[in-house]
Amino acid sequence: MASSPRTGKVTTQDRIRSLLGQYGIGIVLVIMMIVIAIMEPRFMTPGNIINVATQISINGLLCYGLCLCITTGGIDLTVGAQLALTSCIIGQTMTNMGWPAFLSILAGVGVATVFGFIDGVLIAKFNMFPFVVTLSMQLVIRGLSQVITGGRAVMLTNDWFTGIYSNKFLGIPMPIIIFIVVTIIMYLMLHWTKFGRYIFAVGGNVNAAIAAGVSRFWVIVGVYTISGVLAGLASMIYTSKTGSAQSNIGIGYETDAIAAAVLGGTSFAGGIATIPGCVLGIFIIGLIYNGMNMIGVSSYYQSIVKGLIIIGAVMLDMVMNRNKH
Amino acid sequence: MRKSIVMKVLGAVMAMSLVFSAVVIADETEAGAEVSYEADVNGDGKIVVGYISKNFTDPFHAPINARAEEYFDQAVEDGIIDEWTGLLDGETDPNKQIDRAADCIAKECDIVIFLPAEAEASDPALVQMADAGILVIEVNSKSASCDEKSIAYVGSDDVQAGNMLAQWVVDNCPDGGKFIHCNGVLGNSAQIQRTEGMHEIMDEHPEFEMVGDFDTKWDGNLAADAASDAISKYGDELVAIICDNDGMSSAAQKMCNDSGREDIICIGVDGVEVPMQMVKDGSLKATILQDGVGQINGAIEIVEALVNGESFDPAPVIPFVLITADNVDDYM
Repeated sequence: MASSPRTGKVTTQDRIRSLLGQYGIGIVLVIMMIVIAIMEPRFMTPGNIINVATQISINGLLCYGLCLCITTGGIDLTVGAQLALTSCIIGQTMTNMGWPAFLSILAGVGVATVFGFIDGVLIAKFNMFPFVVTLSMQLVIRGLSQVITGGRAVMLTNDWFTGIYSNKFLGIPMPIIIFIVVTIIMYLMLHWTKFGRYIFAVGGNVNAAIAAGVSRFWVIVGVYTISGVLAGLASMIYTSKTGSAQSNIGIGYETDAIAAAVLGGTSFAGGIATIPGCVLGIFIIGLIYNGMNMIGVSSYYQSIVKGLIIIGAVMLDMVMNRNKH
Repeated sequence: MRKSIVMKVLGAVMAMSLVFSAVVIADETEAGAEVSYEADVNGDGKIVVGYISKNFTDPFHAPINARAEEYFDQAVEDGIIDEWTGLLDGETDPNKQIDRAADCIAKECDIVIFLPAEAEASDPALVQMADAGILVIEVNSKSASCDEKSIAYVGSDDVQAGNMLAQWVVDNCPDGGKFIHCNGVLGNSAQIQRTEGMHEIMDEHPEFEMVGDFDTKWDGNLAADAASDAISKYGDELVAIICDNDGMSSAAQKMCNDSGREDIICIGVDGVEVPMQMVKDGSLKATILQDGVGQINGAIEIVEALVNGESFDPAPVIPFVLITADNVDDYM
């Protein structure tokens, strides 16, 4: 946090400036909510707010994985394909092989975790570019999901599994609960643990981090593995939601996840990110879809607005972190 | 240098003669009547068949590809044809399909079965194969110059599918009401034609109001979100969700059912595994079957006719079928 040059003390003004730097995007979110609510009063009903919170859970989990990878100076382009692979493994094992739902989920999320681990090892051990590794790996993962199902859709009939999306706990839909739990875990991990500090250190200045005794290898492997776990969990929610496992799902989903992370202040320069910021970014992306649908804006314009907001956020990021760039 | 020019001229003459021979062998009959062609178009004594798929990932295309693979593997084994290219993946990408067409030309295919990804953008694939003298059979959807350049089209009328979608909603919601439409990828020929067909019927019924036209990209997740948004906004006024495919309609129906709105009529086109099973289970009232395997079987019959020197119908239409609890078992 910046401090007053004359006294060396952190002033209220400094604190406000710092907060604006980290969470200024929240103002965009509030403005969006007000504008949409004025144009469509039904937007602010409790039912619709829960609806939005439920819808964003899939992109939310993907976004956290992307946030960690981007903070270390990398990227994970496999998340869309991971959605497909986990979905196919769950469908194939549960419906066609008769496995219990819990075991199928474990297998699906486990395989996604293994692929995340492999990405991390390739990047950290062999110094390969994250973009190249994950771009190539998503082809492998997508191909594998096609091999598993032969391109066919597999129906999920297990009530417990399909209820993951639709069931409620204490009146709150399960996807929201999963999202909140993951958000708390991610917040504690990134902002309150040694591992979280190492992530910022590796992304901020890798040489200084190594000199300070940080294991770059395990930090990189760790974040890509976590990204795999989160993609697997996102796929579980997705598959439960549609009741169908298929290999063509998740195409382009990394775009929304990256957009949410960047909107939340995650810097592509590495070393800068906050989980609360990501939550704001996730809600903004969700609101773009929901708000425009509620207002009745043409889908063509939704795409334009989404693109413009992402460009605006990246510019905001560059202005607010000018020194770093 | 001189030798190279002579070779080029000879090549051009041969290519032109192949095209010309194909034209003159075809019976000079009116549209709709049967035609015939010489199968061994390059005269090398071998029949080589190519297959350019639309993609390997879409559940609708999986059984089409599987049927083609099963038949042509057996056809090579039985000596009906000499070779085939195997399934070439079009990746739903016109650019990739044009590359695969060049591969078929390089492999000296005589006949190619082609499932275009897009009407306009995939058309160069057809044009370059036809110009190279290859007999192209388009399946499932037409590219722009299909009627001039391909020898046959085996498919269904997507406008009819759109009519059937809308008619089901009209028949099952006699009081009318609000409905939303979930699109496929905007600009795709099936999306355009199914939407056109839907409007043909719905625009005749003022008791219905379309309150949302969503870009859901054939994606069940996006269709489910559109359904929950519409329920959130319109509540009991929402009576139907019309989808360009049934991967979307089944996901939308599941969302409605989970929200306690089993009364909302969701319907889409294709007849893939999940919606068919839902119709059987009673959680989805109906879907429109596009008989993809019937389409590829139609193309296979044309290949057999070509190999045997027989005439064939160049434009067989495989009709869409309304699938309900009454007939779902006949098609599963």
